[in-house]
Amino acid sequence: MSHLPLHVEAPAPVPEKTREIDRTGEPVFELRSVSHSYGRNRVIFDVSLAVWPGEVVGLVGDNGAGKSTLLKIFAGYLEPTSGTLRFMGRDARFRTPADARAMGIEAVYQDLAIVDQLSLWRNFFLGKEIVRSLGPLRILRRRQMRQEAAAAISQLGLTRVRSADQPVWTLSGGERQSVAITRAMHFGAKLLLLDEPTAALSVRETRNVLQSIGHARKQGLGVLYIDHNMSHVLPVADRIVLLELGRVVRVIDRGEVSVEQLQDLIAGPTQRAAGQ
Amino acid sequence: MNSKTSPDRVAADSAFQARARHLSPAQVLAKIPELAPGLGLFGVALFFSLETSNFWSPQTMTAISTVASTIGIVAVGVTMLMICGEFDLSVGQNFAFTPIVWAILFVTNGMNEWLALAIALGLAACVGGVNGLVTTAFGIPSFITTLGMFFVLQGLNNLLISGHQLIMFEPSSAMSLLGAQIGSTPFYMPLVWMFVIAAAFWLVLTRLRYGNWTFATGGKAGPAKAMGVPTARVKRINFILSSLFAGLAGCMQFAYLRGVTQAQGQNYELLAITAAVLGGTSLFGGTGTIWGSIIGAFLLSSIQIGLVLIGVPGSFYVTFIGIILVIVVIANVRLGRFGSH
Repeated sequence: MSHLPLHVEAPAPVPEKTREIDRTGEPVFELRSVSHSYGRNRVIFDVSLAVWPGEVVGLVGDNGAGKSTLLKIFAGYLEPTSGTLRFMGRDARFRTPADARAMGIEAVYQDLAIVDQLSLWRNFFLGKEIVRSLGPLRILRRRQMRQEAAAAISQLGLTRVRSADQPVWTLSGGERQSVAITRAMHFGAKLLLLDEPTAALSVRETRNVLQSIGHARKQGLGVLYIDHNMSHVLPVADRIVLLELGRVVRVIDRGEVSVEQLQDLIAGPTQRAAGQ
Repeated sequence: MNSKTSPDRVAADSAFQARARHLSPAQVLAKIPELAPGLGLFGVALFFSLETSNFWSPQTMTAISTVASTIGIVAVGVTMLMICGEFDLSVGQNFAFTPIVWAILFVTNGMNEWLALAIALGLAACVGGVNGLVTTAFGIPSFITTLGMFFVLQGLNNLLISGHQLIMFEPSSAMSLLGAQIGSTPFYMPLVWMFVIAAAFWLVLTRLRYGNWTFATGGKAGPAKAMGVPTARVKRINFILSSLFAGLAGCMQFAYLRGVTQAQGQNYELLAITAAVLGGTSLFGGTGTIWGSIIGAFLLSSIQIGLVLIGVPGSFYVTFIGIILVIVVIANVRLGRFGSH
């Protein structure tokens, strides 16, 4: 297995469907030679990985490839055994997920983003409520939060959303994902971590979620999109990082190869797996 | 990204409103959680008005309102706790424990009654604090924690007054504040306090950040925690509220009856949960309203007193309550109302 350099300059872009990512500045987030072991069991081997502003990086690999361990390192749930983390050009160390969140790293998990019973606006501002203080009381600025939530969400064009007062369980899974992504953007996230955001979604819903990811990219957020299926990541990712047994085995730049070549590359690991 | 008057948003908002006006009856019931129990209460009142000659007499009003107000005050705390996803089975025993402590301190031992009341309520709050700490620190079901507390308090109550009754013939000023008759009306102070407490906590739930956190904690603790809601602290505070209101309501009952026995508050833990559930509070957390629980308390007391009026033995009413409770929960699950807020 070869270790390809990750920070290669973007080569001459192939026309259409290619976006220019400015990789001259500092990446939003960067892992430098990160390794991790659970006890004596080493699961991540010298991984280097960077996400630049406005870039969607797809992290793809089979079960056990180390995707969730990397995600936990990104989100502050795990401290790597060795290697450095750099956030916006500075060394960073996250002791808790709250540290990572405070820096602007927002993880949008499939089932861990939204409280179904709460209305849209209450979900949108959960934990970051706009309040007015009266002694020890924190009074919700309900009208302001309703309006801001409605304004942010109405840009998504979700068909099932009628009002900011509507409980979130009336939305579909994809719409909830979109709301969670929009919320992260609204609160100034710098890096979005998405863990299989389109798993178990219909085609139309998947499109909604991908649209929200596109929104986030246009706003200059870095996006790390984790999925075991490359075909999910393919439509949105600027680069695809292929992970196998804790190592980066391949980095595919969207500009490097045509869609057809990409399809062949997708078939690659499957064939390898089938041959085992 | 939040331009104040973008035409898009105005259009979106008016589209929101236009579509919001056309609601089916089921949607209206879901939108106003107090409506269904309110209609139930209306039906019960109508039934007893037709079946008895004295349902609206002052005596009946006194009986219904005092039973409803003590259960209602207990139910406010229990509702807060249930919304954040926990139970409190110790409120009934606390309903006796707190006034027993208060009465022993100031009736038997001559302590200043206000100081004694403060100590008794402080103890009640401590009981809730222990319930909350044990539940959140060890991660065990509050059903078990508070069942344990139920027995602890029951034993303490037995120990403290062992079958006697503590009586205060001359109501003190603290007792008047908590339990006196309001002028020449058939109503007593607990009713006023119930409305004050219910209004306050209706505001807490709907207008304060703490209310938002309470709903989120019970709705889905994982995301709530991930979004920065201190879910364990929210639960502990609600355990304290639940115990505090149970103790306070018990003191009101003592002040109104001018006596307390260890049997006071028997079954109140279950009646308070029943009132909350009849009022639309979910057993699974995340959903509920204060006014719904108050209506539930009035439903319970109206049925209790009304059945006595039509000649059914007084202790038989719980049979009806049991049947109604099960029917209401089935209806709620059918209508999918558990899960909306």
